[in-house]
Order: sequence, then C-alpha cells, then structure tokens
Amino acid sequence: MSNDIPEDEILIPLGPQHPALKEPINFMIRAEGEIVVDAQPRIGYVHRGIERLAMERTYLKTAYLVERVCGICSAAHQGTYCMTVEELLDMEIPPRGEYIRTLVWELERLHSHSLWLGVAGHEIGFDTLFMYTWRDRELVMDILEMLSGNRVNYGMNKIGGVRYDVTDEMKNKILKAMDLLEKRFKDYKKKLSEEPTVLGRLVNVGILKKSTAIKLSAVGPTLRASGVKADIRKDDPYGIYDEIPFEVISYDSCDLAARVFVRIDEFFESIKMIRWILNNLPDGPVYKRAPIRIPQGEAICRNEAPRGELMYYIKSDGKSNHPERVKIRTPTLANILSIGEMLKGSYLADVPIIVAGIDPCISCMDRVMVVHEDTGKAEIWTDEKFRDYSRKWYKKNLKWVVEERWKK
Amino acid sequence: MEEIIWNLLSFIIFPGLLFVCIYSLFLEWLDRKVYARVQNRVGPLITGSKGILQPFADFIKLLSKEDIKPECADRWGFLFSPLTALTVAMMTVFFVPIVGYQGLISLPVDLLIVVFISTLFNILVILAGYFSVSRFSTIGAVRAGLQFVAYEIPFVLSIICAGVLAKSLSIAEIVYAQNNIYHMPFVVYLFPAFIIYLVSSLAKLERVPFDIPEAETELAAGWQVEYSGRKLALFKLAADIKALFVSGLGAALFLGGPIGPAIAGLEPLCYLFWFIVKTLFIVALIGFFRGLFARFRIDQAVNLFWKTVLPASLIVFIYTSVLIYFIL
Repeated sequence: MSNDIPEDEILIPLGPQHPALKEPINFMIRAEGEIVVDAQPRIGYVHRGIERLAMERTYLKTAYLVERVCGICSAAHQGTYCMTVEELLDMEIPPRGEYIRTLVWELERLHSHSLWLGVAGHEIGFDTLFMYTWRDRELVMDILEMLSGNRVNYGMNKIGGVRYDVTDEMKNKILKAMDLLEKRFKDYKKKLSEEPTVLGRLVNVGILKKSTAIKLSAVGPTLRASGVKADIRKDDPYGIYDEIPFEVISYDSCDLAARVFVRIDEFFESIKMIRWILNNLPDGPVYKRAPIRIPQGEAICRNEAPRGELMYYIKSDGKSNHPERVKIRTPTLANILSIGEMLKGSYLADVPIIVAGIDPCISCMDRVMVVHEDTGKAEIWTDEKFRDYSRKWYKKNLKWVVEERWKK
Repeated sequence: MEEIIWNLLSFIIFPGLLFVCIYSLFLEWLDRKVYARVQNRVGPLITGSKGILQPFADFIKLLSKEDIKPECADRWGFLFSPLTALTVAMMTVFFVPIVGYQGLISLPVDLLIVVFISTLFNILVILAGYFSVSRFSTIGAVRAGLQFVAYEIPFVLSIICAGVLAKSLSIAEIVYAQNNIYHMPFVVYLFPAFIIYLVSSLAKLERVPFDIPEAETELAAGWQVEYSGRKLALFKLAADIKALFVSGLGAALFLGGPIGPAIAGLEPLCYLFWFIVKTLFIVALIGFFRGLFARFRIDQAVNLFWKTVLPASLIVFIYTSVLIYFIL
C-alpha cells in the first residue's frame, strides 16, 4: 500500500505487534478521524515451515507434527490428518474409535468457543466476561486432560483410531461437567443479550453481507453469522456426523452480535452432541492396526474445525514412508479477506473486536509461497533455497541495509 | 514560629503529601481487590499482607525503570506534563476536608476553585498526549478531550447542587450544613445528583466503561503510551490521587464529610476514621461498577453524556432549586 494518502487521513499500522493482536499480523489502516477508510491485511510473520517438515517425517510422526499447527484446534488438525491417511489406505476405523474421535472434536469446540467469547469480551473492554468464560474453559481442559493426559496438544488420534479409551467413570464426570457448563453459558447468553453496553458494541458492527461473505469464501461461524447455513458436518458428513442429531446454527443479522450468538448456540449444540455420543458409545476396540506402507495416491479431507472448514491434502508416492506433499488450508486464511471488508467504514475503536470476530489464528495460517513476478509461476521454497537466497541478498544489499539502519 | 512549623508539618506529613500518597496507593489496592473479586479472581496477593503493598511495589519498580523519551517529542512539554499533573492532583486534595470541617486550604469559594483545578488535570492529559507525538497518543488525547467536554458539565452541575442546598460555595460550609443544619447527609436529598456525580467521576478517572482515552486493546495505553519509567510512575500516582480526590470530594459533598460520631478529645482521629470509611465506600462502589460494563465507544459515551446525563443533571439542578425555595 502506498504512503501517499490525502491530507486529512492518517495511516495507522495495526501490528505486527499490538496489544489487540495475540499473534503477529499487520493491518495498514487508513483512517479519517475515527472512521476507517481502508484496511489492508499483510500476513506471513510467523511462517514455521510445517508443511515442509511434514514431507520429511514418516506418516506416524507427522500426525504429532500437524497437531502443532494450532494450539487450540489441535485435535481437529490431527484428526483430519489421520482421516486423510485412512482415506489413502481405504480403511475403516472401529466405531468406538470414531465416536471417541468425534467426542474430542466437540469438546475442543467447547473450549475454543469459550476461549473466543472471553477474548471478544476483552476486546470490547468487558474483562469480567473474559475472566468468567476462561474459568469455565478450565472444566473442558480438565476433561481433555483426564481423557488424554494433556491439556493442549492431546495426541489423541493416530492412524487407525484413537489412543485412549473412555471409561464409565470418565463418562459420568464429563456428563456432570456438561450440566454445569450448560447452566453457566445459558446465564451468560441471557446477560449478554440484555446488557446495553455490550450490545452497543456488537450490534450493527462489522457488517459482512451474505453475498460478500460467499464471494470472499468465508467459512465457519463467520459465514453462518452472515445467514448462510453451511457446515461441513451437515453438507458433507464424515465420521459419525450423519448419525448424530444436531442443528446448524445461523443468524442473519450479519454483524458481530450474530457472530457471538452463533458461537454460543453452537456451544449448546456441542454439549447436546457430547451427551448423545456418550450415551450411544458402542463397545469394541478403539484402534485398528494400520499398515505402515501407504499406497500411491492423493486424498483430500475436510473437517469443520471450531473456526470453520479445515482442509487437508496428502499425496503419497507409494515408495517411501513419508508423504510426498501435505497441504493444509486453515479456516483463518479463508476468513482473513473478509476482515478487510468488515473494517471499511467502521470506527477505529471497533477494529480490535472486528479482527477478533473471525477468531483468527494467525500462526496456523502462514505458509510461504513465492510467486515470480515476471513469469507468474509459483513455487515452494525449501529451507536451503531460502537460506541461499537470503545469503545472496545480504551480500548484494549489505551496504544499503547498514546505511538504512544508521539513518534510523 | 511554632505555628509555621506546625503548618509545614501538616502540609508535608499529615494530612498533607505523605498521607495523601500512602492513602491513595492504598485506595488503588482496594480498587484492584474489589475489581478482582467481581471477576472471580483473587487480585494482588503476594506483596505484604493480602497484597496490600502491591501498588507501592509497582510504584517503586516504575521509578527504577528506564526512562525513554521519543526523539520527536516536545522536550519540555514531555518532561513537565507528568510533574504538573502530579502537582495539580495534589493541589486538589488539599481542599478536601480530611480531619475536620475544612481541608488544608480553605477559601470562601473553594468549591469553584477545586473544580477549576481538577479541570486543569484533564487539559494536562490532552497536552501530555499531544506532546509525545505518537499516533496512538494523539488519538488518545483527542478522545480524552472529547470525553472531557462531555462529562465535565454534568460533573460540575452535580457538585453545584450540593452547593445550592447548603447555600454556599465553600466546602467547609457544605460539610457544616449537612451536620449542623440539615442533620442529614445530602445523599438523602440529592440521590440522583450523587449518581450523576459517580457516573461522571467514572469518566473523569478513565475507568471502565469510560476508559476510552487509554483503551488498552485499541490504543495500547492511549495518551500515556510513550511515557515510561519515572514519568509514568508520576502519572500513575497522579491518577491514584485523583481517585482519592473524587472519593474525598464525594464524601464531603454528599456523605457528610469526615464528620461523624466521635469520642470527646479524640475528634481528629475519629474524623479520620469516618473519612476513610466514606472514601472506601465510594472507591469500592467505583471498583464494582468497573466489573459490570463493557467499554463504550467514544461516540456512544459522548452521546450518553450529552443526551441523557446532561439533561438529567439539569433536571436535578432545577429540582434542587425548587427544594430549597419551596420546601426546605
């Protein structure tokens, strides 16, 4: 974005370091007084090279690597990866394993949505909500710790099923915690829909119209808050989602309030689903041994992660025991374009909550792709190539860089 | 000679500088504790008994931190605005009665003077943001100015109501009237004015829901974003003293001041006790309010003050005048 702007406008850089952002991303905001005229997102500050790493590890190890793509939806990533590899193998996993996998996904949705609700409260200066929802989130974290031994990266899935079983005692504990959570979140929903200072900050803020949302390919709760009933769990059922009774929540007011209430209502749906899963848990093993050698082929799997549609693409060459290519498309990347649209015309004070409104997970999103300007050809750079490039660049431009630094 | 030394001591130690600093830091602790309890947290816990020394520790730590000055900031303005802010805040507290009917300084029309000086503080805030020449602090200063124009009129009107009821503009006489003429704190007659006073002092102290000028998630720290080390410590202390001023003035105007049942011979001590009780009450109330609301947007806050609070305070003012001429 150029720096020549009209005199009555100012250019405000939001990020890469800013208290409103939990992760580094940059928005160049052009503001006229308190009104945002234009906003340009710039991504790529936390590229970690996970896709490249995945290509160098065995299928088994990659399952624990992709879990690290996102700290919050780690089970969704791992589960989708395992699903994709199982698709390549053309194998069915035992029903109990499938049920427990879905149970962890839904528990994760609970924890992700309550985390988001707290962050949203913090962004509008309502820290009390933040403290309360994060307290309740601990209940879910404790359940996940009880199931898998870990609070964040659970390591629950593996190719061919899940690693841990659910006992009757655990089942009772989970059901009890669900009752408490449902009671508390019903209370929050009631309070939020009555509190004028909260509604004043949420209603008619960050409008994303239905047609624009579809055009910019928004996904997940962001899309559903714009009045589109799209959910991979319903549209393209995988696992046991065609058996579980649940409803797709959508609100058509297209603003931040809709995004809040979509998530709260999904929270209740998830609680219902968890109850159904626990009450209908089939007997049997949770895991079936999978062959080490993966046949040649490619597969795509989609999953409705808490933030939206998550896509995995894996290509296997059938010879080595590590994937030839792993491509991950996280929901934040699909949603980041719509932020620019939502920001236009809003108040500067609403920028943090609008950015937080899509539940961005910046580090999940960053992938490096180099597009040659003259040929228009895209290629993926390896570590070595990158290192070479930086060495050459610095050799050529060292003098200039040092001079620039001195100037500052 | 003895009198001069006595006066000097009362200005420097009690109830002057030292007492004001220590007590305002204690009030900050109480505010943080109440706010934390509302949010289901424990608040400061480690330093001292129940974390009572935490504000002192924070203050001393800030004093020892590196003091950074932005290159393009106005040199003298940047240096003097925290100093002046602290001085001005301290000045206002000297007018608040702490151990008797009058404060350290008492003049015939000191209510107006105190309002004038406390207004200076807000102008200093705007200047502090302006002098530090940063985009965040400029926007913070603009917001501080906008908000200041909105809340100052209801704030002054609610104060004047107490003056009208006591038929005086001297704080000492207002306290006297509550205890010796009406035998009732003014909050009984002027409850709506007291509420308006609390709401506009929330804005004056930049607390949630009116912490717009320093909105953490939008502007980092708003007008004070460039201040660090000693200068920031002075600003923080000044803000704490301002909280003491607001609660002390509220106690004096609406809750009967520091006067209360006293043991003969120990009046100053008993009055100090009542002063502490009443200011703690107001500070706890403000801390409680902080936990209940989300932050307003600047346009919403300005709208609220101009469209709701200002007409309400005018009505309360008329009601007070009617009360004084026809009923009392």
